[in-house]
Amino acid sequence: MPAKPIKIGSLAFKKKGDANEFFKSMLYKYDLGDKVSADDAKHLTVLVVMHPEADEKIGVGIESFSVRTADYGTRCFWINRTDGTTEKFSFKSCY
Amino acid sequence: MKDTELFDWLTREALQEDIARLAQHTVATEITNLEESYVCDNPQEEFNWQELLLAGSLLARSGEREHQEAALRIATAAITLDTAQDVRDAGAILLEKLSNHRSVELAQKRNRIAPNLDGRLGVSMRLEANRRRFEDSILLESSGEWISVNDFQRALWKGASSGASWLSASAPTASGKTFMVLQWLLDHLRTSETRVAVYLAPTRALVSEIELNLKELCPSGAGIEISSLPLTEVYASAATRGSKAVFVFTQERLHLLANLLGENLKVDLLVVDEAHKIGDNQRGVILQDAIERVSRENPAMQVVFVSPSTQNPGELLEDAPEGATKSSVDSDMPTVLQNVILAEQAPRKPKDWNLDLVRGDSVIRLGTLKLANKPAGLKKRLAFIAAAAGGRGGTLVYCNGAAEAEDVALLISQLESSPKIDDQELLDLADLARKGVHRNYQLAPLVERGVAFHYGNMPSLIRTEIERLFRIGKIRFLACTSTLIEGVNLSCRTIVVRGPRKGKGHPMEPHDFWNLAGRAGRWGNEFQGNIICIDPHDEKAWPIGVPKRSRYPIKRETDAVLASPDDLATYLESRNVETLRELQQGEEFEQVGAYLLNTYIRLGSLSKAAFAKRHSEETIRKLDKSLESISGLISITNEVLVRHPGVSAVGLQRLLEVFREYEGNVENLLLAPSESVDAYDRYVTVMQRINENLYPVFLPDGLIPLHSLIVVEWLRGLSLSTIIRRRIEYHRRNDRPFRLPVLIRDTMSIVEETARFKAPKYISAYVDVLRLFLAEIGRDDLIDEDFDIGIALEFGVSSTTLLSLMELGLSRMSAVALYEKIARDDLDRGGCLSWISEHAPNFAGMDLPNLIVRETLEVTGISGFDDESQISD
Repeated sequence: MPAKPIKIGSLAFKKKGDANEFFKSMLYKYDLGDKVSADDAKHLTVLVVMHPEADEKIGVGIESFSVRTADYGTRCFWINRTDGTTEKFSFKSCY
Repeated sequence: MKDTELFDWLTREALQEDIARLAQHTVATEITNLEESYVCDNPQEEFNWQELLLAGSLLARSGEREHQEAALRIATAAITLDTAQDVRDAGAILLEKLSNHRSVELAQKRNRIAPNLDGRLGVSMRLEANRRRFEDSILLESSGEWISVNDFQRALWKGASSGASWLSASAPTASGKTFMVLQWLLDHLRTSETRVAVYLAPTRALVSEIELNLKELCPSGAGIEISSLPLTEVYASAATRGSKAVFVFTQERLHLLANLLGENLKVDLLVVDEAHKIGDNQRGVILQDAIERVSRENPAMQVVFVSPSTQNPGELLEDAPEGATKSSVDSDMPTVLQNVILAEQAPRKPKDWNLDLVRGDSVIRLGTLKLANKPAGLKKRLAFIAAAAGGRGGTLVYCNGAAEAEDVALLISQLESSPKIDDQELLDLADLARKGVHRNYQLAPLVERGVAFHYGNMPSLIRTEIERLFRIGKIRFLACTSTLIEGVNLSCRTIVVRGPRKGKGHPMEPHDFWNLAGRAGRWGNEFQGNIICIDPHDEKAWPIGVPKRSRYPIKRETDAVLASPDDLATYLESRNVETLRELQQGEEFEQVGAYLLNTYIRLGSLSKAAFAKRHSEETIRKLDKSLESISGLISITNEVLVRHPGVSAVGLQRLLEVFREYEGNVENLLLAPSESVDAYDRYVTVMQRINENLYPVFLPDGLIPLHSLIVVEWLRGLSLSTIIRRRIEYHRRNDRPFRLPVLIRDTMSIVEETARFKAPKYISAYVDVLRLFLAEIGRDDLIDEDFDIGIALEFGVSSTTLLSLMELGLSRMSAVALYEKIARDDLDRGGCLSWISEHAPNFAGMDLPNLIVRETLEVTGISGFDDESQISD
């Protein structure tokens, strides 16, 4: 089966693995606890809308994104909502 | 014949055998389950008391320890054995000649001598007794009260009051040093211009003990405020002629106060207790730095050093500022008899142990100790011998490490000598151990049987209560660790020890062993103390045998490190290595290296420093050369360097460079408040940054997440029991096996060693460098001036209410327990007092442990109950 191209906003990937690589390297260029830069946040904003549970994840609205631990040891992206609450999401579930 | 020749002849020849038999008999009465080898049915008849007491009164005049000991032995035997009244009276007079009034009071209390001793004396004896009592008393100028003292105490008082600005005093444990210094300190504060005094003690345990003692001697409202917290308002009030202040601090806390006040801190009087600790690895230099720091701000400051049995107390006066008058008081006189007893198994009989009393280079057989069970294994040996010999209570068992202490205590608790006791105070302590640590914490069932263990990382409220109940005899056996010689004032009747180690695995030096042995014998509570050494000929246990009596040599940590200038210079020059991992071997050089670099930056050359006179010109030149090139790289301000003693300027500079090169959003460099959702992650990153750039502190790297988690929980003000419970839940959730006692001890140790020691030291340095950087790039807006991370971590608080509760003098454990019930997080001290007043009548319904209720009511002076019995409900 030929690889299925993926489009996320302005980003286009030939296959799923390429998208995984892109977001994984984004995830690991930060230190734990860091807020994601404005440029990266743009991509993540488009990405999270594609999440199957986007509405629950986004809630009242997105203020920013952080890189934090999920269960101790693993790291993932977190949405910081405008009301101060926070929610993690897996980028792999979005496409 | 000269006096000394006479004294030598009396002790070594004429009376040698008599004194040996007296010793044999008096010591045997101390030991339970002993089959005595010398049975003395009628001591009145068997000894020539007239001759002995005459000799004793001659020996009392000698300045030699050996002679004084012999006199004390005769006096003690006369009083404690089954003798006629006139012999006991004479024994009491001999004790008075030895200025040992406290033991005379004890003899009266125990009805060993009949009341109205003076009435039985002839006129001239009575006059002499009165004269002696007058000479052995000092007047508290503030109250007009006379207190009786021994020779050392009198010398200490005179020395401190003589106007000498730097004084160093040393005497054996049980000489009443601390008591005297505290009396003098308060009297001096009340009668002189001195407004701000700082009392330095090496451990938090000792700090809380001294604070408590001072508060007992000086109730609140007496115009002297006593605090162990670095409170600027207390200082300000003292400095501006309001009340006076005594701060009781560890060296780290003195630096915290100095950091808050900067150049405004002016200390009039500094007392340094356990001053020999200036030689400690790692923290000795922090102490030295603290003394020098406050002395620089006020060169006219009076300083009093106190140390136990040191060889060279004068050493501490070497670096006094120019023009300071110096004086030292040195005593080696015994106040209670200390019997060193060797215990060896009788051949073929594991339940029979021969006990020998050490006397000079020979021994005297005391008899055979009968054990109830076969002691298989070393822990059982320690436990069973302690339980058999120490049946009179007041028995300390020295263990190598917390785990061993727990095991040994458990063994002792199962023996017949430790039945379950129905005592409210013991039950309260057990209750606190269950609620404050964990419901299965081993301490709880043990204290119900009058047995306990004791180590440094325990919460202070529990530890001090154990010490108190041991002092008053409700806890009869206490298994302890080297924490005891690191600065807890706890004495006992009998110490049982086998192959003692200090800290993790180092055999004890003779002076450390004698510091421990010195705890045997509670002056004023007992006439004798016993040190039972098991397997004295086992080379693994005692590599150099049971050490001969020895006094502590004072040597500053800095001087010890400066003794190897080449290695130090190499370390300094290579401090700026690429990967700090390579530095791990250099722990001994890191702290002193940081101190030297700061000194160099401040003075321009080490040759101008006070310590330079103790080292060769070549050493100083060599180090100056290394430091010159290093200091050229440093742009961190002197102000920041001074705030972080023991933290290398090279590391701080490197951190600054890392900040400057940081490409991301600078806000990512900040710590998050502990309540923030990203706090844990930020601490992980900051600890990693510290390990990579400042100094490898939080090791191994794999444990950073655990350390961060506990630091954040500590800062959030969680109780120890909650932190432990959460760790257990985590292990269960993730199917990770764990052993409860290990997990409990491990959590306590992370709280004490990481959250309360390493984290405040290094994270506050991180924050200060970050502030420099933020100011440099014009982002001062990100600096939070109100929050001092060093103080928050030292005390484990992040809310105003919690800090106010601790400012009232509550332990953290009590403060946290109350804060769980208090809704508001912004109460000041007054607000907390009102809350306590309002809710105290309902404490019983809040399920607070009794000990916490008691501490709260005692500290605040609020009475909570109409009916005392409610406490025990």
